[in-house]
Amino acid sequence: MRRVMIQLEQVHKHFGQLKVLNGIDLEVTKGEVIVIIGPSGSGKSTMLRCVNGLEPIQKGRIIIEGDDITDPKTDQNKIRQRIGMVFQSFNLFPHRTVLDNVTLAPIKVQGKKKAEAKQIGEELLVRVGLADKAKDYPDQLSGGQQQRVAIARALAMQPDMMLFDEVTSALDPELVAEVLNVMKDLALGGMTMLVVTHEMGFAREVGTRLMFMDEGVIVEEGDPRKMIADPQEERTKKFLGMVL
Amino acid sequence: MGQFGRYYFNWDILRDTLPELLKAVVVVVELLVFGLFFAFILGLLISLMRISRVRIIRWLAAIYVDFFRGLPLLLLLTFIYYGLALVGLQTGLRFLILPPIPAAVVALSLCYAAYSAEIFRAGIESIHRGQMEAARSLGMTYGQAMRFVILPQAIKIVIPPLTNELIAMIKDTALASVITTPEILFRAREIMGVRANPTPLTAAAIIYLVFTIPLIRVAARLEKKKGSPGTPAGM
Repeated sequence: MRRVMIQLEQVHKHFGQLKVLNGIDLEVTKGEVIVIIGPSGSGKSTMLRCVNGLEPIQKGRIIIEGDDITDPKTDQNKIRQRIGMVFQSFNLFPHRTVLDNVTLAPIKVQGKKKAEAKQIGEELLVRVGLADKAKDYPDQLSGGQQQRVAIARALAMQPDMMLFDEVTSALDPELVAEVLNVMKDLALGGMTMLVVTHEMGFAREVGTRLMFMDEGVIVEEGDPRKMIADPQEERTKKFLGMVL
Repeated sequence: MGQFGRYYFNWDILRDTLPELLKAVVVVVELLVFGLFFAFILGLLISLMRISRVRIIRWLAAIYVDFFRGLPLLLLLTFIYYGLALVGLQTGLRFLILPPIPAAVVALSLCYAAYSAEIFRAGIESIHRGQMEAARSLGMTYGQAMRFVILPQAIKIVIPPLTNELIAMIKDTALASVITTPEILFRAREIMGVRANPTPLTAAAIIYLVFTIPLIRVAARLEKKKGSPGTPAGM
């Protein structure tokens, strides 16, 4: 059955005079992997941050699995538990071990027993290939390893969907693949994903929809392979010409 | 040494004075323990108010900090001990009459809360914004994110400046002598009067330095090695 996970209706967002999102409409159904590309400043990261309420919006509605997060009566903390997010700069908690990073929110937010959280955490670390790093601190890890921990940390909340905000942009080229592989596994496992990235290979391989944003609007969207091979809009052509 | 030794390093007087002053150390420690405790609690609260999203709360905190940073501690001590007691006696509001030690603790706490609030605020603000965002994105409330993610990191950063606060407070306890708190300087002056010799002041200086110099060294060391805030203790 087709289940709508994320719905954006005419979302407008501006920072003072600067308009960042100019009426975004978007519907994401369960299992979709949406890859969002666009020049810097096009609003793609901001859109992602609006989806889980990290940024307030000025106009429009954002509905997560039927709950309107723009409604002041909605408990945003509850909604965020269902949305995992991974950041460009990892943002691991430097004062906690790798395993503690992964188990902190399940214990404090979901009220899980320590032993249970630890078991889930260890399984997730196995899944991202870092079982042997559980007791290390984040700054002992490479960027790619830190980012994989960040993915495990987000997954530990057992979210229904995941947001990826340029998660490979801060990585050395040789470390990008290990993170992308984890993301591909997730995508193939049926996770609903919104991915802001410049990795066109990822879009081609596992993306179910490609979306090109510019100046706060969605300029063009479609099947990733078709769109990369044959973009319709002039702006899309120009951008793809630069990144490919 | 001659004359100088007789007046300032009079061995007999020094020997008699030191045990007396060591008793006064207990009072100073009392002032420090309670003073720091209340100053840090109140300071942390004010620092959190200072970064609140509600403008009125931010203002209240800013007013507090400016007020107590701008006021001489000596005036504050005098007001809380004599100023309040005078009104207490005339109106019968007996709770306004504080004994010297509680009065000194109140004055020190109020004043040092303002300084600590600024230190805590700087510490909290030095933690990268991404930490708060990561915590919130995991479903933590603002309070949980502060408690489990931001403050544990900020505390590590503020330890060196708080050590400097401690040193300053040790020295400022001497001000409490003006409200007859039986602390080190107060007792030293009493003995000086009885023996008609300033050697007790030398004894007091020795005691202060025994406490402050090691702390000054520690603070300098902590400041030097505060490299990456992320490095866990013991690494």
